[in-house]
Amino acid sequence: MFKKVKTTAVASLVATIMTLGLMSYANVGIVSNAIASDGFESSWAAADEQRKMAAKLGFEWRDTKKLLKKAKAANESGENEKAMKLVAKAHEQSNDAIAQQERESSAWQSRVPK
Amino acid sequence: MIFLKIRLTEGPNESEIMKKLIVVITATITAFSWISLHAGPDSDQAAFEKYFTSKFPDTPVSDFINGVYSIDKPSREQWEEIEEFPPYELAIDSGKAAWNKPFANSKTYADCFENEGAVRGNYPYWDADRKEVVTLELAINECRVANGEEPLKYNKGKMADISAYMSYQSRGQKINVVIPDDPDAMAAYERGKEFYYSKRGQLNFSCFDCHGSGSGNLVRADKLSPALGHTSHFPVYRSKWGGMGTLHRRFGGCNKQVRAAAFKPQSQIYRELELFLTYMSNGLDFNGPGARK
Ligand code: HEC
Repeated sequence: MFKKVKTTAVASLVATIMTLGLMSYANVGIVSNAIASDGFESSWAAADEQRKMAAKLGFEWRDTKKLLKKAKAANESGENEKAMKLVAKAHEQSNDAIAQQERESSAWQSRVPK
Repeated sequence: MIFLKIRLTEGPNESEIMKKLIVVITATITAFSWISLHAGPDSDQAAFEKYFTSKFPDTPVSDFINGVYSIDKPSREQWEEIEEFPPYELAIDSGKAAWNKPFANSKTYADCFENEGAVRGNYPYWDADRKEVVTLELAINECRVANGEEPLKYNKGKMADISAYMSYQSRGQKINVVIPDDPDAMAAYERGKEFYYSKRGQLNFSCFDCHGSGSGNLVRADKLSPALGHTSHFPVYRSKWGGMGTLHRRFGGCNKQVRAAAFKPQSQIYRELELFLTYMSNGLDFNGPGARK
């Protein structure tokens, strides 16, 4: 009685592990496929969206657009890794610009001569 | 809200007290916001001027219109020599020719601007009907378009020439920007002011960081000019540009310098910045066009 239960438990545990393993294997496959096909496009679009947000707030940085242009060119000439790095840099610049706007929306007042 | 409702239904006495309290609070808030709005531009200007006259006690206030040369003796001497054969003279001449040359419809700039073009002192101003700031350069293009001519590009070239001629005609007029008692005008002034003091760009500098607290310091080979009088002498001949440029060209250059994206010349925010910055120099003279390094 006791023994039987134990075997069933072990069996189901093994089954679960195998299923999880298969699932994650399948997942990795899907994700890496996505990076190869449209990872650049979607990352680029997200970075450009963020740049537009910074611009709308009036705080876009000078070189962000250039970085995105360079990223596109790198991607077209097959330099995927370089392209992704440039996109990440552009995205980070816009995050910083938006944070700058947030800070400055009150901080500017401290500089006004009294 | 809910709290107030409950209190108000609790009996005539308490509800009367509450009502009075609300009236008093509302009145106080209104009074304070009225004071903070109307104390605005005037006291801003006084504090701004005082900031620079205290920082540079050797410079007479009327001399701040000469930019960095008002605080830097050695470069002032060179500049005074340059002013004997001013590099902006050509621009004044071609601006004068443009002033006199009839448009295709045989009208001229004189049909838009009175006083032989000596109108710099009327700009920038708040146009209450249009609810926007009108600058001299904007008005020049509106004159052209109203007479069937193509608008000119705002940064340099023919626009700088005609503006140089009109500024020359206007030399000695007082800077006297008026911010009317109008919430829209006040909001425009406030936006210009906020822009001036906000840090921007990858280098994280505000205009005031360089031209206020940093004025007199060196940035590479340039000494930073004080902001008081900053808009008096435009358009300007700049040796670095090898030619003339308008005030908004300079704004764009200073934005890019700190690695911020520049705005378009005559964009709403640059006109509001011009309104604020020119207001800060109220009482000084217009002395354009100018010459700078
Ligand atoms: C990193 C420092 C820096 C910042 C920030 C900066 N400027 Fe400048 N600006 C300069 C330098 C350098 C010059 C040329 C030397 C001088 O006249 O100060 C200059 C010149 C000018 C001039 C012309 C002065 C003259 O006499 O002809 C104006 C007007 C001006 N800046 C406005 C601005 C405004 C408005 C901002 C903010 C949008 C700004 N600047 C931000 C560095 C800066």
